[in-house]
Amino acid sequence: MQRPATIRWFRRTPVALAVVAAALLFSATTAQAEDPAADFKRTCSSCHTIGGGRVTGPDLKNVTARKDRAWLVKFIVDPGAVLDSGDPYAMKLLEEARNQRMPNVAGMSKARAEALLSLIEEESKKEKSRFMGIQLSDRPFTDADVVRGEGLFRGEVGLKNGGAACIGCHTLGGVGGLGGGRLGPDLTKVFERYENRRKLGTWLSAPATETMNPTFRDHPMESDEILPLVAYFKHANTNHEEDTASRGLIFALLGLAGAAGAVLLLDRLWRRRFRAVRKPLVRSAALPSSNKRTAT
Amino acid sequence: MDVRSQISMVFHLDKCIGCHTCSIACKNVWTDRTGTEYMWWNNVETKPGTGYPTKWEDQETYYGGWENVNGKVRLKSTGRGRIVPNIFHNPSLPSLDDYYEPWTYKYEDLFNAPEGDDQPTARPISKITGDYIDIEAGPNWDDDLSGSPVYAESDPNLDVLTEEERAQMFGIERLVFFYFPRICNHCLNPACVASCPSGALYKRGEDGIVLIDQKVCRAWRSCVAACPYKKTYFNWSTGKSEKCILCFPRIEAGLAPACFHSCVGRIRYLGVLLYDAERIEEVAALPPEEMIEAQRAMILDPNDPEVIRGARENGIHDSVVESARNSPVYKFVKDWGLALPPHIEFGTLPMLFYVPPLLPVMSKMQDGQIESVSDDLFHGFDQARAPLAYLSNLFGGGNTGMLTYALRKQMAIRMHRRLETVGDVDPEVVERMLREADCTPEEADEVYKLTSLCTFEDRFVIPPAHREEAIEMMKDPQEHKRSVGFGFLAGPKRGS
Repeated sequence: MQRPATIRWFRRTPVALAVVAAALLFSATTAQAEDPAADFKRTCSSCHTIGGGRVTGPDLKNVTARKDRAWLVKFIVDPGAVLDSGDPYAMKLLEEARNQRMPNVAGMSKARAEALLSLIEEESKKEKSRFMGIQLSDRPFTDADVVRGEGLFRGEVGLKNGGAACIGCHTLGGVGGLGGGRLGPDLTKVFERYENRRKLGTWLSAPATETMNPTFRDHPMESDEILPLVAYFKHANTNHEEDTASRGLIFALLGLAGAAGAVLLLDRLWRRRFRAVRKPLVRSAALPSSNKRTAT
Repeated sequence: MDVRSQISMVFHLDKCIGCHTCSIACKNVWTDRTGTEYMWWNNVETKPGTGYPTKWEDQETYYGGWENVNGKVRLKSTGRGRIVPNIFHNPSLPSLDDYYEPWTYKYEDLFNAPEGDDQPTARPISKITGDYIDIEAGPNWDDDLSGSPVYAESDPNLDVLTEEERAQMFGIERLVFFYFPRICNHCLNPACVASCPSGALYKRGEDGIVLIDQKVCRAWRSCVAACPYKKTYFNWSTGKSEKCILCFPRIEAGLAPACFHSCVGRIRYLGVLLYDAERIEEVAALPPEEMIEAQRAMILDPNDPEVIRGARENGIHDSVVESARNSPVYKFVKDWGLALPPHIEFGTLPMLFYVPPLLPVMSKMQDGQIESVSDDLFHGFDQARAPLAYLSNLFGGGNTGMLTYALRKQMAIRMHRRLETVGDVDPEVVERMLREADCTPEEADEVYKLTSLCTFEDRFVIPPAHREEAIEMMKDPQEHKRSVGFGFLAGPKRGS
């Protein structure tokens, strides 16, 4: 009875999988093809602006005038391959970007690239594009900014749109008692890596990495949250505690103590459990008879 | 009144010689399979002793049976709130060591050993792992008081005795023991049935035999923990629990169960009792001292017209009621008041009754001879070799009244027979003894007959099983009446 059912299931599985995959692919392509503006915001805006000046990547205003469209499409679809081929223009761009390579975008296609270029062309014509990038105030950071930034980082102050607090995945020299998460990179020197508040702020406005993009896509950070965070990162860049080895030890010891405590608690909860009857009986009988009554 | 029928049993302990034939008969018929090696649906214990599994009577360790919480009975081992936190490990299960590790011997070594100066030996090997083992325990390890300082002295029933009584019981030339054969009691209020989370256990409606449905059992082992007599066992091979089935296939064919049939001492009696199921809960909630009397009151008189009417209403066949009228169990339990249930305080209302042993409890050594007569008629109940408190803890729920009654009557009957066969007792004394023991000479003769001269037909009054009625509940016997030809699925018809 069992076997035919399993075989039937195995035979059907590839078909079912194909149907699901096709559905997913279709929904993904259509959603992206329909709205290049949303695509730009999500995919490109963490490194590029249109008319907002260079951040990590170059300003894309009038990019179609600077280079032919076919090359651009090729580059957008697979920047890694073009950079590796040693293309002279790509090399120039890489140098301008201080050797920061443009990452390959998952699911990028020719059609998507064409749509994005058309969008850029259209936006370039405008006086003020909506993709000028995030505008952070230039005022000097105050201590209050740093305190608020630390609160946001540690999750003591919630992000307005419901994004996850940084500490969940990142650590930073001296944060918290036991440091932050280990999934993302250590952010102690992040301000130094991104050079200035504008680049870091732009990146935070639309994080593009594989893990952060899905996390923050639907919960973007507001500019009045980004500013204190950048202030905190700048502050931490210079004033941070060294991550010491003792912290790891404390964590391990706490874990051990917790496990021991849990075992003791379970032992107490099940103290009436059955242990053994015959062996203790025989053992106690082997004792001198004066002890026997009390032992049994 | 809710009349139901139950196949019940009486074991006459004075007749048991401790030969274990019953155990072997059962083993050979039912538990010689893989996974059942350690099971003894029928076992014989020596009392005082710890029994099998070790100290099974100690419910402070095993948590079997029922407890009374504010006038309501509830299982000691499990319950609605307790089953979930213990879902991955039942905390009250005896370990294999508390039963014993079943073993055999490596007999081939006797034939294959190379020639040498020594006799080859067959070393014991575990029946579970196949490795060599040192045998440390067995199902009757403390048989005939072997290992007394360990086992007999740890008998949980001795806890009610004073230190002095204990010392006396194990004194030289006072040392006393008797045998205690045990099978499933097929209780009226079975803890095993109540505890099963899968609902695999049930008490058969027609004869009250408690069974485990092997297709429904899901290896929770709650029944193993809940049964205070430790008479359900877990089969490690099939992953199902098993227990004594009272040889129902034999009973349905009109034969006595294997252990009854093979009993050398003819200690076993079997017959139907009618009882009032309405009172089960009420009786189980009583204090243990009152329970025996209340359980006895639950057993109904099969000659009472009202009981017969109630039985008919509940679909009990007239032939079963007729069988109940001839039941030897009814005589021992109700008419004569000689048989008592074991450990009634566990609350399961066992339907296996024991006639408490008179010998060697009552006899004593006098001038190098066993003497059981004395000037004082019911001499020395208080000075009996096995203290009354010990026996009443086993069979009286701590109440010595019913136990003394049964012992006195047996003693009087013995004197009555002695008068007839030997004639060295004063008839007037015997008459007085019988009167004081609430027994007529006729009754004494009847007890004597059923105890000493009983045939198969006297001991085993097995009711007709009426399988045809049970089958009718599931299938209409008229279903194929008037259908045609050979084969019901495709009968002959025109054109094909």
